[in-house]
Amino acid sequence: MNSSDLSRRPVLASHVRLKIDPITGDPILLFPEGMLMLNSTAHEVVRRCDGRTSIDEIAEQLAEEFDAAKEALLLDLLQNIEELSQRNLLRFAE
Amino acid sequence: MKPRPYVLLAELTYGCPLHCPYCSNPVSAAPGVELDTEEWNRVFRQAAQLGILHVGLSGGEPLLRRDLSELIAAAHDAGLYTNLITSGLGLDLPRARQLRAAGLDSIQLSFQADEEALADEIADTRAHRHKLRAAAAITEAGLPLSLNVVLHRTNMDRLAGVIALAEKLGAHRLELANVQFYGWALTNRKLLLPTRAQTQEALTIAQLAQDRLKGRMEIVYVLPDYFEDRPKPCMQGWGMQYLTVSPTGHVLPCPNATSIPDLKFENARLQSLQQIWNESESFNRFRGEAWMPLPCRECPERTVDFGGCRCQAALLTGDSSATDPVCGLSPHHFLLQSIVGEENELRESQSLIARQNPS
Repeated sequence: MNSSDLSRRPVLASHVRLKIDPITGDPILLFPEGMLMLNSTAHEVVRRCDGRTSIDEIAEQLAEEFDAAKEALLLDLLQNIEELSQRNLLRFAE
Repeated sequence: MKPRPYVLLAELTYGCPLHCPYCSNPVSAAPGVELDTEEWNRVFRQAAQLGILHVGLSGGEPLLRRDLSELIAAAHDAGLYTNLITSGLGLDLPRARQLRAAGLDSIQLSFQADEEALADEIADTRAHRHKLRAAAAITEAGLPLSLNVVLHRTNMDRLAGVIALAEKLGAHRLELANVQFYGWALTNRKLLLPTRAQTQEALTIAQLAQDRLKGRMEIVYVLPDYFEDRPKPCMQGWGMQYLTVSPTGHVLPCPNATSIPDLKFENARLQSLQQIWNESESFNRFRGEAWMPLPCRECPERTVDFGGCRCQAALLTGDSSATDPVCGLSPHHFLLQSIVGEENELRESQSLIARQNPS
């Protein structure tokens, strides 16, 4: 599969939980023996990874929410998704 | 200001149907009554208030606790990520579903080897076939499966098969933990210690698999520290991120801390976790750098490895505040060089001594 295929629908892997750290208020991913603090951009991406929304649709939503050009967002978005996927935290729905 | 803990290891019982010769549980645990459901519930709530995000439910074998699903629900309700660390014996599909419904986030299942005869010899009981069934039940119940295999002299040459087993079972994570010498493993060290050649071959196999499986299965390789030149950053520093509660409620800076003879430990029945974490002598003894001897005190790497493992220093040198003798800069490093030296390379394998379980 082409790694920039925008029709893919990302979803958090089943062992990963997105939570808000009750002490700091920061978004955080929890998984066995580990955790990853998310910056606000990554949080906006991750909370849309529900296995139903495609990367293209996520980009559209982000563009609307932050009043930015979709094309300008795409590179960062794909990088975020690729990194989480390489770390085994994100999968793609069938 | 005290550091914030992130991880609680809840050792629910020392009871276990297996007899693994490398078990890190104490060889002779102090007798006492196990914490009950309500006491664990209080521990989980206090842990969450302290900032803890993760709980590992371990043992012994945690499935021996009849109230396990209540304990999982309590930890889940407190807001903790729950990971069950189990041998899988006693786990069928209905129970796996029950644990998932209680809020379990992940299961770590142990294996002794990739094939039945060797695995059962190591566990000293018929366990392997039950584990295969447990793995199927875990997946069927929709729980994420991770595998843990302790590597030692007897099974290290089977590593490629172990990785293939983890792939076949659909694990998302495989922890390959070179045996660490505490508890029963220290008693059995001579039988468990691999040769240097074995550790080098295993590392190569593990690294190739890490690359091949990237994005599908995470492979964590815990180094065999006896063969290293720098110590492991044990617990990310004493009293910095981790705390362990023993089956009878003792609150420990690490699961093996009772091997340090001159430390006294507080009990969660009598004090809050917060009080113990912040104020106890046991948690403060090796916190920070004030306790450090030379060469650690002036070493630029003290912020990387924190002087290594306090238990290992106590067990090998008799001094819990010595530099971990794994370190090439330790005045006691010669102890390890003789343990892993030529004699170890040349001797034949012998049969293992099984762990005796508490009655």
